[in-house]
Amino acid sequence: MAVLECKGLSKRYGHTQALDRVDLAVEPGRIVGLLGPNGSGKTTLIKLANGLLTPSEGEILVCGMKPGKESHALVSYLPERTSIPLWMTAGQLLDFYQDFYKDFRRDAAEEMLQHLDISPKQRIKQMSKGTREKVQLIVVMSRAAKLYLLDEPIGGVDPATRDYILSTIIGNYDPEAAVVISTHLISDVEKVLDDVIFINQGRVMLQSSVDQIREEKGMSVDELFREVFKC
Amino acid sequence: MLRKLLKHEFRATGRVMLPLFLVLLGTAVGANLSVRVLLDTPNKVLDILGGLLIVAFVIAIFGVCVMSMVVMVQRFYKNLLQDEGYVMMTLPVSVHQHIWSKLIVSAVWFALTLIVVGLACLIMAADVGVIHQIAKGFQELFRELYRNLTAYYAINGTALAVEFLVLCFVGCCAMCLQFYASLAIGHSFSSHKMAWSVLWFFVTLFAMQFLGGSGIVLLDETWLHHLLLGWTDNISGMTAMHWSMLALIAGEVLYGAIFYFLTTYFLKRRLDLE
Repeated sequence: MAVLECKGLSKRYGHTQALDRVDLAVEPGRIVGLLGPNGSGKTTLIKLANGLLTPSEGEILVCGMKPGKESHALVSYLPERTSIPLWMTAGQLLDFYQDFYKDFRRDAAEEMLQHLDISPKQRIKQMSKGTREKVQLIVVMSRAAKLYLLDEPIGGVDPATRDYILSTIIGNYDPEAAVVISTHLISDVEKVLDDVIFINQGRVMLQSSVDQIREEKGMSVDELFREVFKC
Repeated sequence: MLRKLLKHEFRATGRVMLPLFLVLLGTAVGANLSVRVLLDTPNKVLDILGGLLIVAFVIAIFGVCVMSMVVMVQRFYKNLLQDEGYVMMTLPVSVHQHIWSKLIVSAVWFALTLIVVGLACLIMAADVGVIHQIAKGFQELFRELYRNLTAYYAINGTALAVEFLVLCFVGCCAMCLQFYASLAIGHSFSSHKMAWSVLWFFVTLFAMQFLGGSGIVLLDETWLHHLLLGWTDNISGMTAMHWSMLALIAGEVLYGAIFYFLTTYFLKRRLDLE
């Protein structure tokens, strides 16, 4: 069964069509790149999967369920902006995640914090932007979820942090789970992807495996992206 | 899950409210000192200091009352409809649990604010040198209260006081829900969310007042009016008072229930986080 499935999914903001009859399926065990230029509908799709927006038409299913309380227990979501409560300390944030998610692996989270020299007593407000993003990623990736939805996890951070984030994703996700990474920084994520979905102006332009692209088109995902989305 | 939400709500709001309560109690001690010592001295500087301490006490009372309201609205707005909403609205909890946690915590802070303001006034008026006399006074007060509670009229008086407190409490909760509903409706729009929220607050306020006023006018001289008149002829004034208080409480519960429904509907079906 697909972990994430969209059937004729559309979303409008007033007169703006953010998603237009999207059909796609993400299978378990795959790392999928949701790739597209800015404003193509990537974040809208991820928000719909999290129930933060309601579809205008069609439906979106997470592990066969409509987004809601039950699906939230199976999805680990990294929003594009820092959304963790800033007044908390890193330790209090771990308490918070441990309280609400049965699949939260506290030992893994503590180990990652220690590795980054982040004290559990430090307030998130006192951390730099990059450190906050790392802490948010740590709690998200410390869950043994069925589906990880990561919205722009490497946007706005330095190359060293990008490498850390990608290695954290690869080193911590459950191999039975699916990971959806939304980004427009293709070259950085290409090495970790199994499949790609190209999205533009709310429409799915291409859904394929990375190997298939390399074999059939004879080019990298980054090169294909530049060709498809040439201005 | 509600218990866990409550735990984190108290943790989040307590870091604002508890220091405020401490400041209020501190200014109450200052005001007490001012009344007993500073204002009685011939020294002008101490006299001015005494006056300032009393002003600080009054401002602290006002501040704590305003802040309990501000925290109630701000917490709902920031925690569910702003950036933190991305974490909160994706927790495996229902919208009902979110609203109840916010409502219960707000209600508890309202009640605590009332208690702490009362305590601060007692401290301000107390003669610190005779604390043991105050304790003795409280002992006598409770003994007297118990004695009076056994008397028929006092029971009615106490019952009316309790009904009034319940009415105030339910009224505060209904007001919270009206704020929540306005914010939830306003944030279902794709732009100018806060402006829409303010507008919807006044629209709902006007609509409820209009419906209430129209209801009273339309029911005047109807069968219900005559039925109530006939009924009140056969009951005592005190019983009528109790029924009136209960009707007001039921009215506030209904008022709150309408906004509870609106809040849940808009958070569930029309949520549109930016």
